[in-house]
Amino acid sequence: MNPLLAQFLAEANDLLAQVDEGLLQLERVPGDPELVNEVFRAAHTFKGSSGLFDFPELTRLTHAAEDLLDAVRGGRLTLDSGMTDDLLAAFDLIRGWLAHVTTHERLPASAGTDAAGLITKLRAPLGGEAAPAAARTAGVPAPVIDVAPDWLAWLDAEWLTETAAWLATTSSTLRFVWYTPDTDCFFRAEDPLHLVRQVPALEKLGVVQPEAWPAPEDYDEYTCMLSFVVVTRAAMGELNHLFRYVPDQIEIVELDSDAITRHLSGEPPLRAEEAVSVVVTAVIDSEVSADARAVLQAAHRALTLEGAVAEGARLRSVRHAVAAAAWALGVPVDVAESSPDELIATVVRLAGEAAPAPVAPIPAQLQTQAVAPHEEKEPVGRADDPGGQVGTRVLKVDQEKVDRLMELVGELNVAKNGLTFLADAAEEEFGSRVLSRRIKDQYAGLHRIAEELQAAVMDVRMLPLSVAFGRFPRLVRDLSRRLGKTIELVTEGEDTMADKDVIEALGDPLVHLVRNSLDHGIETSDERIAAGKHAAAKLTLAAVADGDAVIVEVSDDGRGVDPERVKRKAYEKGLISEEELETLTETEAVDLVFRPGFSTADQVSDLSGRGVGMDAVRASVEKLGGTVTMRSKFGHGTSTRLRLPLSMAVTQVMVFSVGGQRFGIPVDLVVETVRVPAGEMSRVLHQEVVMMRGEVVPVIDLARALDMPSTLAEGADRPILVVSVNNQRVGLLVEQFHREVDVILKPMEGLLAYADEFSGTALLGDGLVLLVLNMKEVLGLAARVA
Amino acid sequence: MPLELHDETANLVGVVTVDEVEQLAGWLRAAKRPKVSLRRCNHLHTGALQALLLFRPKISSAPNDAFLAAQVLPLLTGSSGPANKQGSDPP
Amino acid sequence: MTTVMLVDDSATMLMSLKAILTKAGYAVETAGHGKEALDKLGKGVKPNLIISDVNMPQMDGITFAREARKAPGMRFTPILMLTTESEATKRAEAKAAGATGWLVKPVGPDQLLGVIKQVLPGA
Repeated sequence: MNPLLAQFLAEANDLLAQVDEGLLQLERVPGDPELVNEVFRAAHTFKGSSGLFDFPELTRLTHAAEDLLDAVRGGRLTLDSGMTDDLLAAFDLIRGWLAHVTTHERLPASAGTDAAGLITKLRAPLGGEAAPAAARTAGVPAPVIDVAPDWLAWLDAEWLTETAAWLATTSSTLRFVWYTPDTDCFFRAEDPLHLVRQVPALEKLGVVQPEAWPAPEDYDEYTCMLSFVVVTRAAMGELNHLFRYVPDQIEIVELDSDAITRHLSGEPPLRAEEAVSVVVTAVIDSEVSADARAVLQAAHRALTLEGAVAEGARLRSVRHAVAAAAWALGVPVDVAESSPDELIATVVRLAGEAAPAPVAPIPAQLQTQAVAPHEEKEPVGRADDPGGQVGTRVLKVDQEKVDRLMELVGELNVAKNGLTFLADAAEEEFGSRVLSRRIKDQYAGLHRIAEELQAAVMDVRMLPLSVAFGRFPRLVRDLSRRLGKTIELVTEGEDTMADKDVIEALGDPLVHLVRNSLDHGIETSDERIAAGKHAAAKLTLAAVADGDAVIVEVSDDGRGVDPERVKRKAYEKGLISEEELETLTETEAVDLVFRPGFSTADQVSDLSGRGVGMDAVRASVEKLGGTVTMRSKFGHGTSTRLRLPLSMAVTQVMVFSVGGQRFGIPVDLVVETVRVPAGEMSRVLHQEVVMMRGEVVPVIDLARALDMPSTLAEGADRPILVVSVNNQRVGLLVEQFHREVDVILKPMEGLLAYADEFSGTALLGDGLVLLVLNMKEVLGLAARVA
Repeated sequence: MPLELHDETANLVGVVTVDEVEQLAGWLRAAKRPKVSLRRCNHLHTGALQALLLFRPKISSAPNDAFLAAQVLPLLTGSSGPANKQGSDPP
Repeated sequence: MTTVMLVDDSATMLMSLKAILTKAGYAVETAGHGKEALDKLGKGVKPNLIISDVNMPQMDGITFAREARKAPGMRFTPILMLTTESEATKRAEAKAAGATGWLVKPVGPDQLLGVIKQVLPGA
């Protein structure tokens, strides 16, 4: 793919998320100018970049959205939920298009028709389809012969006479430009002479010097004191283009032989003032002054709108806008201290001076629509804006590249681990302790670098939780509408960072929990009011870092879990015994919802149902090496807490062998390793147990559970790996312990993908593939085998 | 360097930008009988032109650049129409 | 070598303009918003020309133009604002803040290089 397009797609993703989030927030805080501005800016950037590619539908649709947002920003429209729906729909459509672009590098064929309806909807509040942009530039006056201005006198009369004769002979005209640069124009990096020399088909240049030069010692070389008269055959359009940045410093007239002759003979057909006013008309009609008038109109509206502009940033920005407009109109005013009333007076005065020109006027309605007044609500001091983005320049890197880097780090680790085997071999096979020592030293150095490298790469992989939380405002909004519940979503700790794999893996469990909460936990407004609660329910998504783990909590203030009902249900479903029905504590009862086959809702709704229960949530979180717990207070709400490792890329694994084959188990789970004399093993019912510090620990024969041959000699000591699973100690009877290693766990693939007793594979330094046990499944397996 | 300044003579070379204006004006102010060569000059910033117009050094050689030769040189050598005459009034 | 500083919060925009300029033989400095650009100017980066977006987080282009004029050696450096059709009202404001001119997005190579030639003598 074209790297520019790839870049655009990456950026588009962020922008879409920004727009979505902004729009949803706006619905809650309607009219917040900063929020509107944020959304507008995102949409605007979108449009700007979309124009770089051949996606006209995308440009048109974003343009329509931008115009609507701009009207909202300008205070001409109030965003209602209908508009929000349309805007969301527009950006949803764009999201779909971009997915298509990602694979096909072009928009879907249906883009035009898909967009048409939305564009009409988006434009409707603005009063229909906007006039094409070209209409706005129609301010260029038609070639009309002007009256010779008095500055023509700066040109040599002899030359003018010859020229007039030639123009008469050829029935042609010439354009005359009077260019009076601002005295401080050098400080805007303007170089008038450079501009003049770019005038095509230059016929004559006159440089007008000041009437009196200052004394050499008082001369300020940075004050521009020259003016220019430029005579050219270039077309009006060319001149307008060339001088487009200095429209307020030039006058352009088109003269024929007659006009020049009349000037030379000193018989003015019109009085000088009138002539000047005609000239000024042409200039006033330039783009800038049209814009300035629009700014003034907008400022006037803002000022006269009750209470809209009283003080603070809003007033400052209006002052600023008025000053800028006045400057553009060539009548600078000082309004730095003006009150709103004084400002209104100034605006009225300026508007009078800048009354739209009679010649080729731009329709007033068009001006207000096309030249939207941004100024009135634009706060000036944006530098202090805390709502901006992250300050540092962010390098966007393809995920695959980071994954590749991580893989290489993994391979480096593996190669590094290989050195320890080599050291052992040096000692055992070649009998060189010295060499073994030196290899180990090398290993130590390499180990340190590898660790740092790994930490650095891991750091690159860290993403804020906001990435995982991002989809929920939209989800909650849509679902709560469908369910007819009023829900306020609060997110906390979005800045908390976690590995991207963790963030990605969090997605599904979180969606499930949120849906569950919306569907079952949160009551309807009526129920809530009857229960004496606030009609709007609160759903909180919170994240917090806790050492090398991240805790994510989904909590609501809904109806909570009824422990009695849960117990009864579990009993009815045969999940607990009659005895447990009596003895289970409330906490234990709540935990029952995670049991496979449990579903609290009497009917499975289409929201959270889908045949997946809380057990699936627990299973997927545990697969990540995390835990899920639920606390609930009946009648007051539920809180589900996920605890996940901050990073899951590197796992420390304890290696052991069973039946001649090596396996691994995450070190976190290992409590201790012991060797128990065979005689101390005993049996309770069918379960082998061992007494450890007064505690009876069940022992599982891994060889049996995994269906491997047992190779332990009859009377030999029993190597037992004591692990803690779900706060329960379990002994694993293995064959031999090995070392602990850092490995990159890879998910199970291919034939093994369905072997739930393994959570992943890792490559060892000596090239062997290590299977890492999923303890929970292994325990279940052991129970079934027994 | 666009400015090659000596005691009484100067060469303007290439594009004389606004950054050179101050130095040029300072030199013109200080030199008693300044002589300026425009032969290798391709462009003069307005500020530089203005300084030359004020201090009126002798132009020792004409510019090779067509625009400067045709439109600017006449202003500096004082053989041009009324627009270039100091102190002349508009009608 | 002529150095152009590009200031835009859109990486796409930066990338496309940079591609055009680099191909045309300019050295290019980029910044993601006004503040970053200002920091660079403060640290001795001396572009011969600045092209800046208007709408940016942290510091918008107009404030940036005003501040950039105060940076050492930037008094006379041409500053072009990247605007869109709908931002026409910003142009007068930008000029008042010290900008030299503006470019209308989307910016094609001819337009970009043409304008640079116009505002940068000897470019």
